[in-house]
Amino acid sequence: MDVTAQLILNGIMLGSMYAIIAVGLTLIFGIVRVVNFAHGEFLMVGMYAVYLFNKQMGLHPYVSALPVVVLLFLLGALIQRFIIQKLLNADEHIQIFATVGLSTALINLALILFGADLYSVNAPAARQPVPLGSFNVLSGHIVIFCAALALVAGLHMFMQRTALGRAIRATAQNRYAAQLMGVKVERIYIISFGLGAACVGLAAALIMPLYPVSPTIGTYFVLTAFVVVVLGGMRSMYGAFFGALIIGIVDSLSGYYIAPDLKEVVYFAIFILILIFKPTGLFGFGRGTE
Amino acid sequence: MRYLSELTNPRVYVALAALSLLLIVPALIGSAFWIHIFVTICVFGALSTAWNIVGGYAGQLSLGHTIFYGLGGYTTALLIQHFGLTPWVGMFAGAAVSVVVAVGIGYPCFRLRGPFFSLATIAFLEVIRLLVIHFNGLTGGSAGLIVPLQIGWEWMIFREKMNYLYIAFGLLLLALVVSLAIRNSRLGFYLTAVREREDAAQAAGVHNAQVKLYAVMISAALTSFVGAFHAMYMTFLEPATMFSLATAVEVAMFALIGGLGTVAGPLLGTLLVVPIAEAARGWLGASANGLHGLVYGSVLVLMTLTLPGGLVGTFGPRVTAWLDKLPGARKRVDRDPPPLRKVAGTKGEVVLETRNLKKLFGGLVATDNVTVDLKRGEILGIIGPNGAGKTTLFNQMSGFLKPTSGTITVRNAKGEMVTPDSADGFARLGVGRTFQIVQPFGKLSVIENIMIGAFLHHPHVEDARASALRVARLVGLEALKDVEARNLPIGDLKRLEVARTLATEPSILLLDEVMAGQSQADTQKMVEIIRAIRDTGVSVIAIEHNMHAIMSLSDRIVVVDSGKVIAEGDPKTVVTNRKVIEAYLGEDFANAQGL
Repeated sequence: MDVTAQLILNGIMLGSMYAIIAVGLTLIFGIVRVVNFAHGEFLMVGMYAVYLFNKQMGLHPYVSALPVVVLLFLLGALIQRFIIQKLLNADEHIQIFATVGLSTALINLALILFGADLYSVNAPAARQPVPLGSFNVLSGHIVIFCAALALVAGLHMFMQRTALGRAIRATAQNRYAAQLMGVKVERIYIISFGLGAACVGLAAALIMPLYPVSPTIGTYFVLTAFVVVVLGGMRSMYGAFFGALIIGIVDSLSGYYIAPDLKEVVYFAIFILILIFKPTGLFGFGRGTE
Repeated sequence: MRYLSELTNPRVYVALAALSLLLIVPALIGSAFWIHIFVTICVFGALSTAWNIVGGYAGQLSLGHTIFYGLGGYTTALLIQHFGLTPWVGMFAGAAVSVVVAVGIGYPCFRLRGPFFSLATIAFLEVIRLLVIHFNGLTGGSAGLIVPLQIGWEWMIFREKMNYLYIAFGLLLLALVVSLAIRNSRLGFYLTAVREREDAAQAAGVHNAQVKLYAVMISAALTSFVGAFHAMYMTFLEPATMFSLATAVEVAMFALIGGLGTVAGPLLGTLLVVPIAEAARGWLGASANGLHGLVYGSVLVLMTLTLPGGLVGTFGPRVTAWLDKLPGARKRVDRDPPPLRKVAGTKGEVVLETRNLKKLFGGLVATDNVTVDLKRGEILGIIGPNGAGKTTLFNQMSGFLKPTSGTITVRNAKGEMVTPDSADGFARLGVGRTFQIVQPFGKLSVIENIMIGAFLHHPHVEDARASALRVARLVGLEALKDVEARNLPIGDLKRLEVARTLATEPSILLLDEVMAGQSQADTQKMVEIIRAIRDTGVSVIAIEHNMHAIMSLSDRIVVVDSGKVIAEGDPKTVVTNRKVIEAYLGEDFANAQGL
């Protein structure tokens, strides 16, 4: 019983990491209506940036979160401005290929620049076990969990209380109607794509102390993030958050009770089942709730 | 003989000459390195051509196609290892496994749209790769599997590297021939139709899921053959390379670069990028690690921004126009259209009936207890204010919506009243419908749009074309026959709707506001066409807002308001009915008229 409880706790911690990535993916899909196949590579870029800040300037990963978030926001905004924007009215398959091509190019660029070796930062403070009742959790995981909560709460406030947030929600609901109301839709898209990428920047800074970076790290995390997004109903930030926690728990439990190398099979199976049988997501958030 | 005579056609002899360069060039150079590059080109060209049958023709962007490549390789290798079976037989076993898996994946996934289909295929690829790693007793797990080294044609393993190229080239040819045959067949047209507009394809009698399954089965078998050969070529299999996501993405990107949905595109895309990448890898060695991927990815992004049609989509028409100027070029000879299908049965018998039809959308009653009969050879007009539920009624009569309660039955060829279980089933029974919001196959020409309908009774391409031309002439679209449908104005699109439906040679014709957007003269012409069709024994139901047209056209009128039938009868009695006037113009107006 204690093992199960510890596993669930681990799963929630793991899930909150996926949550930050998945919220970013959801923002981009929900607002710009583009499935960003290069999302994982944004994470990879962020993690290398955190690594470089640490190595060259001695910045602690948590401190480098600020410049990396800004950097990723700019990266996302530029990609939206110069690639996605031009393809908004193109066929769906062209949009898919554009982000897939971007993903391939970024992975291989990293391979050229850094090689296939793993790089990690030395941040022992993030790897301290913290007793929580009768259980143990890594300090870095607690930081991630709090950050995920703060991110969702912050985005909620931003979307509900600010004029820009309302304009973003309006654009997500109906691009043409928003345009008729004087919303500069193209700018909203640039900001939204930037925000989605910035979420990954935050994730990169928080993950770096716990996981080493390699060119293909993005694929590993983002496939899970896609599972989460589909589970959460694809357009809902809150759905993505809870979906992430569920996948975290499934990951943790199936890794222990089934087989460590089959845990992905379990949640990919869930993913396929949800896509096919309940495309509005587990909580039915799927129909334009944002 | 028929095929041999095609050799004097420049499209054929130029293509064959160009293809033969894939053998001649490496044979002349003779270095093992260049032979390897050409084997790689043939392998990826074949993989990409096979992928294109699903990804291009059917528009289902699979990013998990290496599933079939890996299954082909592993099945073949395991059969050699455990049973000493030659790969020439093993590759067919691999293809059989792949086809079964393809159906298992395709059937549930084909309902997914766009990026979600792609994501699902990636997920399946990951699952299969992880399972192959997990069951290491059988597959050797992530450590991999070494193909037993027996040399000779029987084992598909050679010292003389040119032999590999012969086989790879043969596989490429096979893929190209299959792809070309599909392109020029009913299946090819149907796949394009399903890709462009699922609803319109279904209304033309296409069983959408079935044609997509055929495509994925053929594609999986071809991919699997190539996987089997490539495994023998590399003599080593590991899950990371046999079930690689990166390779699956590459195969798809070559097709896009060359031209999605074209026969030559996938090979041309491969030819454009593979040599650069492979040569760089050869010359720069390990320092070029990642360079080829960077080139692929960047070229792909640039293509989407500049030439979304790919090489063939952009330059293809110019090249074929040039080819057709060479000696031996063929002129299209249109054959005589096949005879029209005769409408059997006796005039006046009921051919379609609805009984107490009810359709609820949430709390809204869109169709309320509607009972209507359609008799053979009559024109029945359905009128009613906007939102009355006319189109919803149509959607049920053509199988696009299932009624909440009540029944719809249609008379079949044997004279029995039956209810088909799908929209394409209704179409095959002879119920042809148009859509109020036009549903053209945008990237097909006008004549090809009509052919999609004609294929229902004329499976041969030339028959369908001749029959479609006859319909084009009838509705006045002949002059526009080679224009892409997406470039037509609304009036012509409305006539194209009618034409595609007429081409299915229906015995029951459902017309949803086909007069809208037509000029006076065209309206008059359309009325005449509909009458002429009725006179051949076809029964017609027309929804129309053009009162003048519908009144002069209809033998009988049904008036619908708020989902209910409020009046029925011949045109003259219906227009003076008080309830009808109220529904259209309000109670006050009816009172003022002293009705």
